[in-house]
Order: sequence, then C-alpha cells, then structure tokens
Amino acid sequence: MSALSELSHLKGGKQESADNKSAYVFLLPWLLGLFIITLGPMVASLYLSFTDYSLLADPEWIGLKNYQRMFTDPRLLNSLAVTFTYVFVSTPMQLALALGIAVLLNQGMRGLAFYRSVFYLPSLMGSSVAIAILWRQIFGTSGLVNQFLVYLGFKNPPGWIADPSTALWTIILLHVWTFGSPMIIFLAGLRQIPGMYYEAASVDGASKWTQFWQVTMPLLTPIIFFNLVLQIIGAFQSFTQAFVVSGGTGGPSDSTMFYTLYLYQKGFGQFEMGYASAMAWLLLFIVGAFTAVNFFASKYWVFYDD
Amino acid sequence: MGRLNTGVAKAAALLLAAGLALTGCASGSTGSTAAKASDAKVELRFMWWGNDTRNAMTMKVIEAYQAANPNVTIKPEPTDWGSYWDKLATMTAGNNTPDVIQMDEKYIAEYGSKGVLLDLEKAGVKTDGFAPGTIDLGRVKGKLFGVNAGINAPIVLANPKVISAAGATLPDDKTWTWDQLNAFAKGVTEKSPQGTYGSQNYGAVEPMLRVYLRQNGQDEYSDAGVGFDAPLLGTWFENMQARTADKTFPSAAEATEDMGKALDQTMAATNKAGLFYYWSNQVSALDKATGQDLKLMRPPSKTGSAKDAQLWYKASMYWSGSAKSKNAAEVAKFVSFLSSNIEAGKVMGTERGVPANLAVRDAVKAQLSASDKKVVAYLDAIDAERGKTPAITPVGGSDIQLGRYSQDVLFNKSTPAKAAEGLVNELKSKVKV
Amino acid sequence: MTDSATMTPDADLTDAPTQRRGSGTSSVRSVFKHIALILASVLMIYPLLWMLVSSFRPNELIFREPGLILDSIHLENYTVGWTALTNPFGHYMLNSAIVVLGCIFGNVVSCSLAAYAFARLKFTFKNVFFAIMLLTIMLPSHVVIVPQYVMFSKLPIFRDGQFLIDGGWINTFLPLIVPKLLATDAFFVFLMVQFIRGLPKELDEAARIDGCGHFRIFASIIMPLMTPAIATTTIFTFIWTWNDFFSALIYLTTPENYTVSLALRAFLDSSGASNWGAMFAMSIVSLLPVFIAFLIGQRWLVRGIATTGIK
Repeated sequence: MSALSELSHLKGGKQESADNKSAYVFLLPWLLGLFIITLGPMVASLYLSFTDYSLLADPEWIGLKNYQRMFTDPRLLNSLAVTFTYVFVSTPMQLALALGIAVLLNQGMRGLAFYRSVFYLPSLMGSSVAIAILWRQIFGTSGLVNQFLVYLGFKNPPGWIADPSTALWTIILLHVWTFGSPMIIFLAGLRQIPGMYYEAASVDGASKWTQFWQVTMPLLTPIIFFNLVLQIIGAFQSFTQAFVVSGGTGGPSDSTMFYTLYLYQKGFGQFEMGYASAMAWLLLFIVGAFTAVNFFASKYWVFYDD
Repeated sequence: MGRLNTGVAKAAALLLAAGLALTGCASGSTGSTAAKASDAKVELRFMWWGNDTRNAMTMKVIEAYQAANPNVTIKPEPTDWGSYWDKLATMTAGNNTPDVIQMDEKYIAEYGSKGVLLDLEKAGVKTDGFAPGTIDLGRVKGKLFGVNAGINAPIVLANPKVISAAGATLPDDKTWTWDQLNAFAKGVTEKSPQGTYGSQNYGAVEPMLRVYLRQNGQDEYSDAGVGFDAPLLGTWFENMQARTADKTFPSAAEATEDMGKALDQTMAATNKAGLFYYWSNQVSALDKATGQDLKLMRPPSKTGSAKDAQLWYKASMYWSGSAKSKNAAEVAKFVSFLSSNIEAGKVMGTERGVPANLAVRDAVKAQLSASDKKVVAYLDAIDAERGKTPAITPVGGSDIQLGRYSQDVLFNKSTPAKAAEGLVNELKSKVKV
Repeated sequence: MTDSATMTPDADLTDAPTQRRGSGTSSVRSVFKHIALILASVLMIYPLLWMLVSSFRPNELIFREPGLILDSIHLENYTVGWTALTNPFGHYMLNSAIVVLGCIFGNVVSCSLAAYAFARLKFTFKNVFFAIMLLTIMLPSHVVIVPQYVMFSKLPIFRDGQFLIDGGWINTFLPLIVPKLLATDAFFVFLMVQFIRGLPKELDEAARIDGCGHFRIFASIIMPLMTPAIATTTIFTFIWTWNDFFSALIYLTTPENYTVSLALRAFLDSSGASNWGAMFAMSIVSLLPVFIAFLIGQRWLVRGIATTGIK
C-alpha cells in the first residue's frame, strides 16, 4: 500500500457516509484552525503579493510587477542558489547521521539514555541567540578551530564565518550538528515497530542483519518519508540559523543570504512587504513541487502496514 | 460512545474560557483608553530600544513623570535595537502604534511621510531652549516629527596603549589629512603584534564615508534624493582596497568579522586597533571596554584644515509620537518632559547622546563621567567648524548596503568601480523623494 | 503466525528491546564504539559546556578564554542576571511555562484528533484537505504573521467585565496558544498520521467486531499505542515554543508579559555594552526546564510495544 494509493481511495465503501460524519467531528478543531487562523492570512498574503505594501500605509495594487521584478533580481537569484545548495547538501547529511545514530542507540548499550540526551542537546539550543555567539567563538578568524589549525602548523587558516567562500558551510555544519530532532523521531519510529515481527523473524531463523533490512527498515519507511519531506520543507524555509550567525545580514557578500532571510529583509527591513509576499508564494510553489515529487516517488519505497 | 470526545471538548472549552479570563485580566489594557468626557485619566504607551541599563534609567524617568502627573499612566514597552523596527512596523500595520516612540534618523522620513508620526509642533511640544539647528534635524518636509533626544557627531578615536606600544606619535587632529592618517596607521601596524592594526577598516563605516563625500562637495543625500555619484565612491573603495593590501587595515576576513560583532567585542574594544571610527555617543562604552582613556579626534580633511572637515551634528535619536494617538496633547507634554525637563535630563545623562536642550546640558555637565565630559568638549569644539546641515535620510534610503559592497571589494568579487556603480544604482532605485 | 493479538504498552523499557541484546559483541568493538561515541558527545556538547563555564566568568574574561578551565567561580552573573530586568527572571520563565503548557495541551489533543481522521477514516475531500494541510507548512511565516496580527488585533477580549476590542488579543498569550488548540501545527498532524499508519489495522478491526465506535477505538486503542508520537509532540512543542522569538516579539508588548526568549534579548545591546555574563547565566537557567522536559519526555518516548497473548 503506498501513500498515494491510500490517498486516492476516497470513493466508495459502504462506510463512507458514516465515516464522513465521524471524520468531520474529529477534524473540527483542525478545520476551525484552517479557516480562521491559517487560510485567511494566507489568502491575504496572496493579495499582498500583487501590491506595494510598506506596512506603514495601505497596500497599493500594482498587479504582476513584483513577480516580474523577481526574475531579474540578482540578489533573489543568489538567495535561491544559496538555499538550494543548503537544502541538497545539509538534508541528506543530517538525515543520514540522524538515522545512523538512532539505529546505533536503539541497539541498547550502557549509557544509552546519556548519549541520547547528549546528542539531542544541540537541538535544544539550535535557534537561540547564544548559538550565534558560540559559533563565532568557534569559527571566527581567531576562534577555536583556527587556533587549533594554527597550532597544527597552518599559517593562514580560512576566515570561516567571515569569508564568503566558507560561511555557508559553517551554517550547514550548524544544521548537521542539530541532528537531534530527526534522530528523536527516528528513535520513536524504531520503538514503535511491534516486537512480534522480530519474534516471528527470529523464529524463522533470520540473523540480526537480515532482521534489520527485512523488518526494521521497511517498517521505518513511513517515518523516513516523514523526516525527508519535512526536513526538505524546513530546509527551504531555514531562517533562524542564518539570521543568527550572520547577524541578520546574510553576509559576508550575501553568501549566507537564505531565501527566507532575503524575504524577511525585504518585508520588514526595506518596507517592501508586497515583494516579500510574492517571494513567499514563489517559495511555496517550489517547495510544493518538490513535496509532490516526494509523494509520487514514495509509492516505490514507502511501506504502510495498512 | 463519544465519552472521550465530549470530555476533551469540555476540558478544552474550560481551558479556553479560563485562559480568556485570566490573560485578559492579567495583562492589562493594550491601547490608550478612549478619553472619557469628564475624566482626565490618560494612558500612554511608550516604546524605546535599549539595554538593561537604559531601560532602568528610563523607568525612573517614567516614575518621575507619573508622580508629577498623577492622571497619566505610562506603559513601558522596551525592546532591543535588533527587534525594534520589526515590532514597530508590525504594530503600525495593525494600527497599534504606541503613543510615544523613540525614533531614529534613518527611519524618521519613512514613518513621517507615510502619516504614522504626530506633528509635534501642532500638538504643542516645547521647542525653545535648544541648541541652534538641533530642532530642525527632526523636520521632514517642514513638519516636526521628532524632537532631538541627544546629539552626536562622527568621531575618530585613538587608543593610547596600542599607539605608544608601537612607538608612534599621534598627528594633530586639527591639521591632519587622509594621507597622513593612512601613513600613520600603517606605521603602527608595522610595529604592532600580529592581529593588531593601526586602523580599523573605515571603508565600511558609514559616517566616515559621509565625511569624505561632504569634503568632496557631495553628501549621502540631498533634497533630490541620492547625493553622491559612483566615481567618487569608487575612489573610496579603491582606497579601502589599497589599505587592506598594505596592511594599514585588517585583512578582509578580519574586517568582515569585525563588522558583525557587537560593540564591546570589536577589535577596537579589545585593544587591537590604534584608530577607530564611531559616533560620539559610543565613546563611554568604548572607554569602558578598552579600559583606556581614549583620545577623541576629528576626522581628517582633504586640505589639512579643520574648517574643511565638513562635520555635522546628528540627532542620535528622536522622541516621536503616533499620529493616531488619542491623546496628542499628552504625548507632546511627555515628549517635552523627556527632552527639556532638567530632572529627567539628570537621570538620563548623556546615555542617549548629549542633550540638545541647553538648560539640560548645563545641568547635566556637573555629574558627567570623565568619558562623557570628553565627548561634550569635543562637540563644543567642532561646533564652529560644522558644515552644511545634512538632509534627512529619505524614504527608501535607510540601508545603503555599504557593508555588502565593501565585502564584495575586499574579497575581490567586484572591482571598486563596479561595486560603486552597483551601490549607487541600487540606492537610486530604492530612494523616493 | 498469529491470527490476532492484543497489544499493550510494555513496562518501562529504557534500554533496548530484549531480543536485540546479548548477541555477543566483542568487548574490543564495544570499547571502540564507546570511545567514538564519547568523542562525538564532546563535539556535541562542547559549545554548551563553554557557555556553562562562561556563565561563571566575569564579563571581561568571557571572550578571551576559549577553554573550559575555570580559575574561580563568579556567581554574580546569576544573581545580577536574575534581578537585572524589570521583573525577576523567574517571572519570565513562568510566562513561558504558561504558554508552553497551553501549546502542548493544544497540540496533543487537536493534532491527534485530526491525525486519526486522516489516517484511519475515509471521507470526501480527504486528499484535498491533506494537500492543503501540507501547503500550510510551506508558506514562510513572515508573510502570514502580519495579516494574522491584524486579525488578532480585532478580536474581542473579555476585560473589566465586558467584551472589548481595544487592541484585541495583542499583548496576551492568546495568539500564541489558541492556534495550537486548533491543530495549526501541521507538522505534528503529519507526524501522527505516519505513526498511526504504522499500526496494524487488525487492531481496529478487532475492536470493530467488539462493537466499538471510532471514538472508542481512538481513545482506547490508538492513543495508548501512540505514546512515542505523543512524547515527541510534547518534547518538540515544548522546545519550539520555549525558544520561539518572533511571534512572542510581535504579540507581547509589555515586559511583564515577556517570555524567556524576549527577556534574554534585553541583556544585549549591539551598539553599546551588553551583559554577556548575565545573558549566558540566564540562558543556562532557561535551558534547565527544557532539558528536564526532554529527560522526562524521552522516557515515554522509548516505551516499546510488545504483544501479549494470542486470541
């Protein structure tokens, strides 16, 4: 059963009308939230994307001008490049690490609870102001890493945070360092695999390795899929880490100007909320496309027990 | 059947109701209450940016005002500088601008020309007793949108410890030229330990750029919009590039890192620079951080004469009001208190800048720290040498992106000429006069 | 194998499930594994340790020492930091706690309800709603926050014995909590959907045969088996809400309503003198509840599921 085929099974079934009533009762809070809190503002932001809106005065309709400007804005195109690099480099790295460590920790060992907490700690701090200060202490021109490199004999270590060619990598590293969140989700997923499958497999004589590939991984695919989809969505919208490490500038030389950081600068800093709204809808389109691809591909590798 | 569901629903409803009741009572009212006909009870919301020192000081001033005006309650809403403008813009979008606002020169035209700010003169604010020209700094197209909350000016600071350790003697700041500054700083770098430089990178310091522009007959802004052209800016960037190459300035990476640091973490504040460039109201923080008695100097001039330095007074910040406030007269009264009242001035000292009101400035002189006395002396000294009053930053001009283009030049992503063109063109596309 | 089985949550399994322990890993491999893990742990927590150590140093020394060795312990960062702002720091932690608890309750209840519908029920427009739900996560929050702010500022609030508009819900905790009661965090809805789909449908069917309606199945069967998902939701909601800055900035205007994330900013002043030591000290203090929440939550996270008996 794949995600998609499951989703497409919405017609027919003797229970349909009975399910409808129950379904809408279960969905009531979500529907209220959707229509009152989410959809209204989303539609408003779509409207704003066709206006010139400074926040300080009423929006003025300008039609497609924002969208037209976007395609010739070099800083926007640069921010797309920065964001794409970040998404496609850091997401696989972070997820692979999270999955690997989760599997390792799930096997049971002394100090398991300790390691689990320690690996999660960076995520606790991930978006705080303190992190910016710390990251600069470590990756500054005379920070910890460079002090260590000089000690090893390198004369002119790179500027890391202060150099356009390496700054983005420090943020990628920061993202990978906070792998604790997807790791916890993987752990939860591993924990929820019913023991009866393992018992049955060992009764059948399967080795631990085989059990991993035949039982664990397939049953974990819904969770892997979840993490993949949401980490990609989240990575495209990554804001706080770049904001905090670059001091809100996206520097040096726009090398850490993530798409949402540029969007934020345009909307709040330069009083061009209309343009920022247009940028937001473009991002939604891009992320939506990637997510749709993810869902279509999922029918080839995600296994649902229902 | 639906036991769990109704149970949950009941609990949720209870929580929601309780939350509404509790939070509604606990947090007090948010906006100024409508003035009732006979009752003079007034509530003003007052927003400012600052750190915990300034916040404590400002609270004291609020208490003093409330004691003198028992029918007025002032609700303080302090934030830090970084978050201030996001919050203010959002509040304005939601028609929720506070009654009294601390305002900055970069944004006063933006907010003023869009009708967000109160015309203070019409509301009855006191404007007499201020140093000449300082009130006009708060005018946008003739209307007074902000009262000067403190004066500052661009300043060059010299670190005696770093300079004497390099065995150098400071030139006279009344007669020095840019070339002399550069040569002097280069000499200091050569004789200083690794990581210490004769001068901070002034190429990315906006007030210094402005000094240079003014000395060459231009300025950042004029009444027509952008006040400078790319060729002149190009020479500025060329100088920056050359000084970085000959090690007068720190390396590209060090300079870039420095730009992003908080004031008390910069090379200047940690005794790693001989000369550095800031605004005069940052002197006491720097004195404290370096632990030195820093020497205050005028920026150099082209000709070697202080009269040609083309310096100016800037309002470090303003007191403004909301055009939609329900208590315009009270706002003006409070703003007058903040800017002209001697007791208030004594509490705030020069923390926000040297008071523009002459009576307050005199009253405050006695209690000033040594650092602050230096600053007042400097401002007095350059008073007669000031050039033309600069135009207020127009709409769209709040960020000229000097940092980014400087970094492009420093890291060789762009030539000085191209970067200058880029900056000027980008600025021209944003500025609306 | 088994025709049907009942499943119950297992007793506290804080370590591995039994079937995977004790298959003879050599002690050398185990030692290597531990060394590698310890090194990794050091990398993970070095920054945090540095912050902890710095909170015991006076302001001037903090940025000069990259190391972890303390010469002397200065507690004044803690005492000064606790009282430096208008209210004692604990007041802000209390504010954050109120918001966080409201959000956790909201998320756990409303998201699980919605997730059950998406995962187990058939209804018209299901895939349309599911797609819309995912779409809501894809729009950057910065462009939605201003329209939301405007909307919240116009909602009536009960004050002084009557319903007023007057600034609406601004400067209350309501804009931060109420959305969570209405399942606006699609992340957790999707998370729970994936977890529920991992549970065998035989359980539902067995309960059906016994005559249970959907609510009974949801409450008695699905929810208990979703403990890891609920624990994850709780932990993540706690941490994200505790650290949330921008929404708190926009909606909370007077200092007595500030949450911890706003209060920490008050120690900084990028154009003047910041009180780094106090900020680090209060950051450490504010991390404690988060960490404790995590420690408690993770015990629930690892409750495994085991089968008991065969029908």
